[in-house]
Amino acid sequence: MRKHQVLALVLAVLSPLEALAADIVVWHAYRGGEKAAFEKVVAAYNAKPGNPNKVTTLAVPYDAFADKITAAVPRGKGPDVFIYAQDRLGGWIEAGNTVEPIDFYLDDAIRGRYVPATFEAMTYRGSVWGLPLNYKCIALITNKKLVKDPPKTTAELEALAKKLTARDAGKFGLAYSYGDYYYHAALQNGFGGRVFDQGKPVMDNPENVKAAQYLQAWIKAGFMPAEPSSALITSLFNEGKAAMVFSGNWFLGEIASGIDYAVSPLPVISEAGGKPMRPWITVEGVYVAAPSKAKDAAFDFVKYVTDVEAAKVMALEGRQSPANAKVYADPKVAADPILSAYKKQVDVAVPMPNLPEMTMVWSPATTALGAIIRGGDPKVALAKAQEKVAADVANLRKGK
Amino acid sequence: MTAPASQDPRLQAVHVARFHAGLAAGLVIALGLSWAWLRGTASAGYEGRARKEAVGALTGLAGEVEQAGGEGDGVRAALQAWQAGQPAGTVGRVVVLSGARLEASTDPKDAGDRAAPRRLAHDEKPVFDRAQRMRGIVIENRDQEEKKPELEVVLEDGRFSMAAPVRKGGEVIGAVEVVRPAAPPPAAPGVPAALLALALPVVVFLPLRRAGRIVAGLAALALFAAGVAGFGAYAQRLVGGAADAIQALSAAGVLGLGVLLFVALGGAARFRSALVRNRVAYAYTLPAMVGMLVLVFFPFFYGILISFTGQTIYNTSAPLTEIWNGLHNYASILGDFSIVHRAEDGSLALSYGNFYWTLIFTVVWTVTNVAIGVSVGLVLALVLNTKGLALRPIYRVLLILPWAMPNYITALIWRGMFHRQFGVVNYARMLFGAEPISWFDQPFTSFLTALATNGWLSFPFMMVVSLGALQSIPADLYEAARVDGASRWQQFTSITLPSLKPALVPAVILSVVWTFNMFNIIYLVTAGEPGGATEILITQAYKYAFQQYRYGYAAAYSTVIFIILLVYGVFQNRVTRATEGI
Repeated sequence: MRKHQVLALVLAVLSPLEALAADIVVWHAYRGGEKAAFEKVVAAYNAKPGNPNKVTTLAVPYDAFADKITAAVPRGKGPDVFIYAQDRLGGWIEAGNTVEPIDFYLDDAIRGRYVPATFEAMTYRGSVWGLPLNYKCIALITNKKLVKDPPKTTAELEALAKKLTARDAGKFGLAYSYGDYYYHAALQNGFGGRVFDQGKPVMDNPENVKAAQYLQAWIKAGFMPAEPSSALITSLFNEGKAAMVFSGNWFLGEIASGIDYAVSPLPVISEAGGKPMRPWITVEGVYVAAPSKAKDAAFDFVKYVTDVEAAKVMALEGRQSPANAKVYADPKVAADPILSAYKKQVDVAVPMPNLPEMTMVWSPATTALGAIIRGGDPKVALAKAQEKVAADVANLRKGK
Repeated sequence: MTAPASQDPRLQAVHVARFHAGLAAGLVIALGLSWAWLRGTASAGYEGRARKEAVGALTGLAGEVEQAGGEGDGVRAALQAWQAGQPAGTVGRVVVLSGARLEASTDPKDAGDRAAPRRLAHDEKPVFDRAQRMRGIVIENRDQEEKKPELEVVLEDGRFSMAAPVRKGGEVIGAVEVVRPAAPPPAAPGVPAALLALALPVVVFLPLRRAGRIVAGLAALALFAAGVAGFGAYAQRLVGGAADAIQALSAAGVLGLGVLLFVALGGAARFRSALVRNRVAYAYTLPAMVGMLVLVFFPFFYGILISFTGQTIYNTSAPLTEIWNGLHNYASILGDFSIVHRAEDGSLALSYGNFYWTLIFTVVWTVTNVAIGVSVGLVLALVLNTKGLALRPIYRVLLILPWAMPNYITALIWRGMFHRQFGVVNYARMLFGAEPISWFDQPFTSFLTALATNGWLSFPFMMVVSLGALQSIPADLYEAARVDGASRWQQFTSITLPSLKPALVPAVILSVVWTFNMFNIIYLVTAGEPGGATEILITQAYKYAFQQYRYGYAAAYSTVIFIILLVYGVFQNRVTRATEGI
């Protein structure tokens, strides 16, 4: 009897370590500099003294990533940890056996170390499902040669844009994909608008209508190009024909080497009482796969990769904007104008909804925006979109 | 099997033996299925009763814990009181979410330094996650006004493992978890009865082996019926004779009868001998058959199966029987005739999402595209076929180029050319003083952009086909026609067109199918703009599946497309047969 107790005690002491020592497979979709930085972080984790785990990475092409996760993970064939944006999170949670809830592991120190909005993006129906790694959102990108002081308010922006526009020469003060709902959301959220309220679609709320009317005023003022596709905006900016652009850090890689640019937060909306434009954030989260055999070890890695040390490498070498808020106190990160500009932006931004119903919003919203851009009544267009989204969501939920 | 052969006693014996084997095989199938059904029903009924009792115990505990305030000593007392009324081996736990606490437990392991209240240990994460899940269900029911059962019941290793939320002031603060042993299900009933029903007819048939064919055949059928009916009556009495019992048992009987007839009438023997005779051929085709089965037929039939369910992203893991909704998807696709609706200002407007609008658009899209492809292709072929044309190989290569380029690249280029401000099409219009058009804002102009793109992509194929056929027309036909005084037009309609027909008809048929399902062009050029007006059936099905996650509905939509093309295929087969004579 006594022997058993001793054995049990020994096992109890050893078990936390025992449970941690594991081989962990991580799937990511990084290439180039991001991949190199991520692998450096993984190598540092593997070499960490006292760490019994071994992490191996697998780069999966981005196009196939989400489908692979959907197909492989619930059947137990996937990785232990994977990295993806929050837009698919709700769908994976609803489908089940894909993402592991991690509330159990979290304490206030972990909860508090991220930019709040990015942490919110990892929350679905009251539970936390992953830790945020980095975020992307749009901000104001200006051509330094044309714009000395980036506008702080929309009133300044309009005046400046009008001054810099010469339609006959194909020159525009401002260019952004205002026909794309993702970009329009910055104005809409700035006016206090939203897509879902308590999980139910509310496309035609008065704030959304107001934002749409405001967009119409901008279009009427004529300082933006028609049908602004992303390729068009890139070429206009690179030819010095667009002075200001609203875009995310993905745009920076496409800027021609001869263009001197600056990034600053989007202006505050004078017409909305000085409230800031609030773009949507896309947050890449690190998730523990539900069927993983080594969840404790997997979470240990998730915690590490979203901590300050790793975030610094990912920021400075991978050129990501880390979700970890503490890293911005680092002198090197703080000195980086782009990183700090996006950080300023994300502090007022809102996470893009991670509900699976969001996919049903895009198409009707684009249609409504199209009608609004052509000068249609925003109220009617948004009401129509609301009707369509509500019907689609109801149809989806009916099968549940 | 001619008449004299049946008098051959040896053959006669073979036939009777077949009846005997068929009787045995048929009975095995029918009784096996009936028995499996009986077993399933019996254990399901048992499990249902046991589950009800267990859930009663769970909800009772949850109520008492809520009454005791959800946490604190009151909860521990309530749990102890509840435990007294439970069968041995029952374990109850109360978990509080905030701080991941085990508030109370009657698990014998939770004693000594593991006694509640304490923080949940590392290996108890599933307990915590379960409580979190309960909270999620309550939140969802509240937000979506749904009525999902707010509890979780799992039967594992002969025990019910259950959980229910604990509320305090409207919010879920934790959960109760109960593990309660379920009495082992009773042994499956009816094994001796099934064996008896199987053995008796087979034994009784033995003396009949010397009888004539007809007598033996009738006897086999009668014995089969007696065996199945006997077991059926027994099974029905056992489960209480519900309507679904009769249904399930008669289905098993019919299947068994089919097997009996298949064996008895020589089908099985013929099948076997065909397999043996052509074994080399079957061996060669086996890999292809397996490949087709796995890669084509399985997904195809699975898709059709899905189309009868309400599968969406929310219930992909649910068994198909649970989400079965019969013909509902088809009814809602085909039964919605509201092609037009009243717009806000009272005028009539088209509903672009409607199936029939999309079908009409798809047909118009197909007909116009094929017409353009054939006419442009034919004209260019005629031009290229001109005798003594200089630099003909160069023209030919240039004209085939659109076909050689990957079509999504072409599609994206054309989309760019129709840009309102920077597109070359509007630029050309402005050179002539016309106003620029927003091509994708109106259904008709949007349709034109897709039509232009696809026309550009489809004429080279028709041109190549026509050119080949043109060169095979003997020149002396034209010579004779000229001698007879036929005009150029008469030559074209009486010689060229009829000679092209055997080559053109199959090409047109093919191109109809391609264009009908031309996903890339619509998806990339118009993207259904404006408002889904220029969506064709296949892109619409894609949207249902991958933007709205309604897998069952999308599968039904695809099946409808398949049926349309199937009908077309049957129709085209007749037309091709008509042209074969030329």
